[in-house]
Amino acid sequence: MDLRTPSGLLFTILGVILFAMAILSPGSRAPMVEANVNLVGGLVFLGFGLVMLWMARRAA
Amino acid sequence: MGATRAADPRLHCRALPGNYPERSDVTLHFVDYFILAIYFAFVLGIGWVLKKRVTSSSDFLTSSRSVPLWITSLAFVATNLGAQELVGMCASGAKYGIMTSHFYWVGAIPAMLFVGVFMMPFYYGSKARSVPEYLKLRFDEKTRGFNAIAFAVMTIFSSGISMYALGLLFQLVLGWSFFSSILLSAAIVLIYTFLGGLTSAIYNEVLQFFLIMLGFAPLAYFAVARAGGWEGMASRLPEAWTHSWKYAGDAAANPMGIEVFGIFAGLGFVLSFGYWCTNYLVVQRAMAADSMAAARLTPIVGAFPKMFIPFIVILPGLAALALTKMGDGYSLPIKGDSYDYDQAITTLMAQFYPSGMLGVGLTALMASFMSGMAGNVTAFNTVWTYDIYQSYIRKKAPDSHYLWMGRMTTIFGTLLSIGAAYLATLYNNLMDLLQLVFSFVNAPLFATFLLGMFWKRSTGHGAFTGLVAGTGAAALTHGLTMAEGKGGWLGNLHEFPSVMAQNFWIAIMAWSACFVTTIAISLITRPRPQQELQGLVYGVTKIPHEGGVPWYMRPAPLSVAAGIVCILLNLIFW
Repeated sequence: MDLRTPSGLLFTILGVILFAMAILSPGSRAPMVEANVNLVGGLVFLGFGLVMLWMARRAA
Repeated sequence: MGATRAADPRLHCRALPGNYPERSDVTLHFVDYFILAIYFAFVLGIGWVLKKRVTSSSDFLTSSRSVPLWITSLAFVATNLGAQELVGMCASGAKYGIMTSHFYWVGAIPAMLFVGVFMMPFYYGSKARSVPEYLKLRFDEKTRGFNAIAFAVMTIFSSGISMYALGLLFQLVLGWSFFSSILLSAAIVLIYTFLGGLTSAIYNEVLQFFLIMLGFAPLAYFAVARAGGWEGMASRLPEAWTHSWKYAGDAAANPMGIEVFGIFAGLGFVLSFGYWCTNYLVVQRAMAADSMAAARLTPIVGAFPKMFIPFIVILPGLAALALTKMGDGYSLPIKGDSYDYDQAITTLMAQFYPSGMLGVGLTALMASFMSGMAGNVTAFNTVWTYDIYQSYIRKKAPDSHYLWMGRMTTIFGTLLSIGAAYLATLYNNLMDLLQLVFSFVNAPLFATFLLGMFWKRSTGHGAFTGLVAGTGAAALTHGLTMAEGKGGWLGNLHEFPSVMAQNFWIAIMAWSACFVTTIAISLITRPRPQQELQGLVYGVTKIPHEGGVPWYMRPAPLSVAAGIVCILLNLIFW
């Protein structure tokens, strides 16, 4: 098993969930941050997940 | 895990009392639980897929030396990155400031580079399956027995104590029942380790590592930004909080109460080298690598991410204190007449993470607990099965029997850890005492390995007597000195400014006693013939030739590169 595949998958799924939260529930904000943390987190997770998946695919 | 106990600030989270003043207001929504559930599904799935790779006891207990370098190196770092480390390092960041980074930039990194360059050739090259087994090959049965039994007992209790800490934290932060959070997380670790053995634990540790890093990095970023960045924090905190070395000349001038010699000798040389170079918990990850080159590179490659972990775990602690001083919406909870530093990371999460990311943060905390626990479980499995069961209880059984025993030990060890966690709820003081005893046993170990690997004249009798003498010296130092009301049960010859300083000096005394005694006894006992020491000792072992390998894949040059980055970090935060 290439560990990059499940890692990539997990982070892509989490990224999509966070991104969806950011878009669908833009009012979910943390008390002390003005930025939409879910959007930032979602994009970072999605990016990491997709890079992992791409690396696994390239290796295979 | 217990090895760094004496020096490790993470441990104040162990001392969480059961009766907290109030519970922080963290409310979870469906999406947060959903994220946690997805994570559980992934770790269990990895265990399930790896199940078919296990056909022998060595597959289960040592991964049959088959794991690629990038995975072993991240697992090497992750297995130490337990929940107590996360919670404790953040707490120390608030309590002691950036000096906490010494645990990384003076402690862990040099030791990791050392074990990769100098010690791994003997661990991996000796064909030993565990660290205690190396001691048996190099010295004798009694030295192995001493180390194996002490390690096994210690591992169970460390695991139980971190479960206890996790249970309390989740009870406090989320209002979950103490035992249901312990049982749930332990059951998941048990299942994936039972299925795929060490390989499963290691693969999951890498997944957990990513989750911890990416899950907490945004917290560090947003909390520090809110506190006004580094400059803003520096303007609000006492100056000693934002300098790692400037105030280290005098123990009275810095919040840790230690000085340069204590940092280098106690924390750096004795405790950190003792932990990273001899503790089977971490060394097992490197020994699972698929080649000698990969085994040596494991801790060295791991050193690169390791040296940046302070930015994720320590900086939020500083930010928490700075934000408290700013007084605009965040405040560290109070416990008694001081702050409850152990709640820094979770209270920050409540303020900086909305539902969604909060689930990720919580999952990351759970992941860190699991990576620590899986480390304990897999190391215990191997030491129990190979070094105790196969060595003293049932010597000649078919391999399938030892595979079965390894699997059973996973269950048995997890149950024992839960028992230890339960014991901790009843007798908090007993746990303190046990951890103290473990720190006495661990403190001298590095002297034994140093002499064993680099001085071919050292003997089994010397090593064993040295270990006993070192342990005794540690106990004696603790008994004769005091710090913050601790120790001094035999008298009070010296008062240390802090418990941390006392711990560093206990370690220095233990190491020196072990070193001197081992040499003295070795000189009057008969050495082993040289041909028996091949592969075990420097000077009679062929170190593999590295011709044709690029510099960045060779242990020594890569270590120099890591060392330079580490020195730069020390200078930047001077």
